[in-house]
Amino acid sequence: MLNQRNSIHIEEAEIITHQPFAGKQFYLQVKSPQIATLATPGSFVQLRCAASLPLRRPLSIMKTHPDGGTVDFIYKVVGKGTQLLSQQNTGSTLSLLGPIGQPFTLDPKFSLPLLIGGGVGIPPMVFLSDQLRKQSKHYNPLVIMGSEVPFPFTPAPSQYIVPGLPDGVIAAMPLLEDWGITSRLTTLQGYPGCFEGYVTDLAKTWLDNLTSEQQQKVAIFACGPHPMLAAVNNLAKAYQLPIQISLEEFMACGVGGCAGCTVPIQTPQGLAMKRVCVDGPVFNGHDVVFS
Amino acid sequence: MNSKKIKPLELNFCGIKFDSPLVLLSGCVGFGEEYTRIKGFSNTDAGAICLKGTTLEPRLGNPAHRLCETPMGLINAIGLQNPGAAYVIEQILPALDFSETRFIANVSGSTLEEYVQVTRLFDDSPIDAIEINISCPNVKEGGVVFGNDPEMSARVVAACRAVTNKPLITKLSPNQTNIADNAQRCIEAGSDAFAVINTLMGMAIDVEKRQPIIGNNQGGLSGPAIKPVALLKVHQVYQVCKAHNIPIIGQGGISTAEDALEFLIAGASAVGVGTALFYEPLILPEINNGIKNYMQRHGIDHVAQLTGTLSLND
Ligand SMILES: Cc1cc2nc3c(=O)[nH]c(=O)nc-3n(C[C@H](O)[C@H](O)[C@H](O)COP(=O)(O)OP(=O)(O)OC[C@H]3O[C@@H](n4cnc5c(N)ncnc54)[C@H](O)[C@@H]3O)c2cc1C
Ligand SMILES: Cc1cc2nc3c(=O)[nH]c(=O)nc-3n(C[C@H](O)[C@H](O)[C@H](O)COP(=O)(O)O)c2cc1C
Ligand code: FES
Repeated sequence: MLNQRNSIHIEEAEIITHQPFAGKQFYLQVKSPQIATLATPGSFVQLRCAASLPLRRPLSIMKTHPDGGTVDFIYKVVGKGTQLLSQQNTGSTLSLLGPIGQPFTLDPKFSLPLLIGGGVGIPPMVFLSDQLRKQSKHYNPLVIMGSEVPFPFTPAPSQYIVPGLPDGVIAAMPLLEDWGITSRLTTLQGYPGCFEGYVTDLAKTWLDNLTSEQQQKVAIFACGPHPMLAAVNNLAKAYQLPIQISLEEFMACGVGGCAGCTVPIQTPQGLAMKRVCVDGPVFNGHDVVFS
Repeated sequence: MNSKKIKPLELNFCGIKFDSPLVLLSGCVGFGEEYTRIKGFSNTDAGAICLKGTTLEPRLGNPAHRLCETPMGLINAIGLQNPGAAYVIEQILPALDFSETRFIANVSGSTLEEYVQVTRLFDDSPIDAIEINISCPNVKEGGVVFGNDPEMSARVVAACRAVTNKPLITKLSPNQTNIADNAQRCIEAGSDAFAVINTLMGMAIDVEKRQPIIGNNQGGLSGPAIKPVALLKVHQVYQVCKAHNIPIIGQGGISTAEDALEFLIAGASAVGVGTALFYEPLILPEINNGIKNYMQRHGIDHVAQLTGTLSLND
């Protein structure tokens, strides 16, 4: 334990940009140089939404700009904390505790990473994409994002072809396009260019089109609502693929002190309750016990 | 004791030296090392640290959700998740840095015998003191069931007293009719000190689902919301403690130096910080300095001189 000392920082972060999107979603950029330097894909911050609401709320890091010292988030208003956060103006400061958590880990043996993000599970997939593009020699990823409210970006037609996908499934995230990373979008809402169905349906279509040799190079990374994660996990089981998933639970301390954020995880010693904040949020999907 | 040598915040708590009156509370800081992940946080800023409630066998704890924020408070129902006393003593204690602060075990059980066995195990360990938690609201047996019955409380204390010479702190529940009476019985049974108070039982409901938010349905309320209740309980327990020189670790919603001072004045010798760490992890130096500044302003040399200095209105 002693070697974990001083790994998490507290910063009073100035809001640089705070921009609303449809579906009560917000893009937030803050100045937080230490967290910008230390964060890795999968890590998150505990953020104080407002002076009147003392308990912090966890938000995944979507992107960092270590040079400018900024950190980006996307969040959705679901309750009191996120509501108060959405009222914070550019120029004011937020207390951030971070970066926290075990990140996603890449292995060049699995050169075809399949990234799946649903709703507010999209941000960590963007961060992971940023890391993958810096190692483009080793990886050829596909990112699938699903949303039932308008995406918190303006989808654009992809310049990359993905063999085996239905005609017309061409909408992509422009930022990932700029990074040279292939993405596709899914929804049940009929948004143009998106696949009509669940993220797992599209993932299955893609997997079925791969040779068995290619399938052995696939590793899944997923973040999103619980039912989606359970479905993605089942997919990984069916295709016998490695899978890392990022879980959510209510939090208090965010640093491993309160045991409030635990989830059931299967270990060699039997069932254990692991803390999402410091033992996760990223877990081996095959170990997660879904209720 | 030569008082000139004592630093202003230093105190003698049941024969052990605390460098500060601040005590980090059980269940809020894991097994003592978790908060040191945060840069700027130091265990040396605390006089003592109470470890998470420990039982004889490992416990997985309660199902989700275990937490819910309420106005200026927090409901928790962790359910005493812990790896068991043997693991704590063999694997965790050796990795703690005892030069930084004092470490206090927090003992729980579902039977009197379990309290005794866990206390005996900790007696044979480097731990500095033992706190017996007869006030945990989140387990079905033991805990608050013992703590709310003065007769049973005294029996647990007496049985644990018989197996340890380490300082024995009894953690009292606010969920009982006459806390002072209970304290009196525990003193007679051999308690060296008290922790006042543990959490108040509470509930929060999701109106859309018409279901309690907490997996365990109910839980313990902590944080600033409970401070006035805690303060009165400390005042009441102090009335029976002062004649016996029995110190109290006052706790419940402390998040500023002024809060801490209120508890000291009401009769506490040391003060606990729990939930406030979740809000502002680097609060300890601020509270320490605030107490020191107050002492300077009031010409008080040692923090112990503040204890119980309350003058009631006529
Ligand atoms: C590691 C981690 C990363 C996260 N990343 C993001 C992100 O990038 N963007 C984003 O929008 N959200 C993210 N969340 C979820 C976010 O933390 C919650 O939506 C937020 O805490 C809700 O706070 P509130 O006060 O607005 O809602 P509350 O008033 O507390 O609750 C409103 C509703 O939200 C649900 N809720 C509360 N807390 C959580 C939680 N921790 N997880 C899931 N549901 C919750 C409750 O069931 C309730 O129905 C993340 C959560 C975790 C644990
Ligand atoms: C998440 C959480 C877990 C707790 N676990 C324990 C415990 O295991 N044993 C115990 O004696 N008290 C436990 N407590 C109670 C605290 O030690 C403390 O008495 C109480 O929270 C009041 O102080 P506070 O308002 O400063 O948090 C817990 C409190 C919280 C918030
Ligand atoms: S939030 Fe406290 S242990 Fe994870």
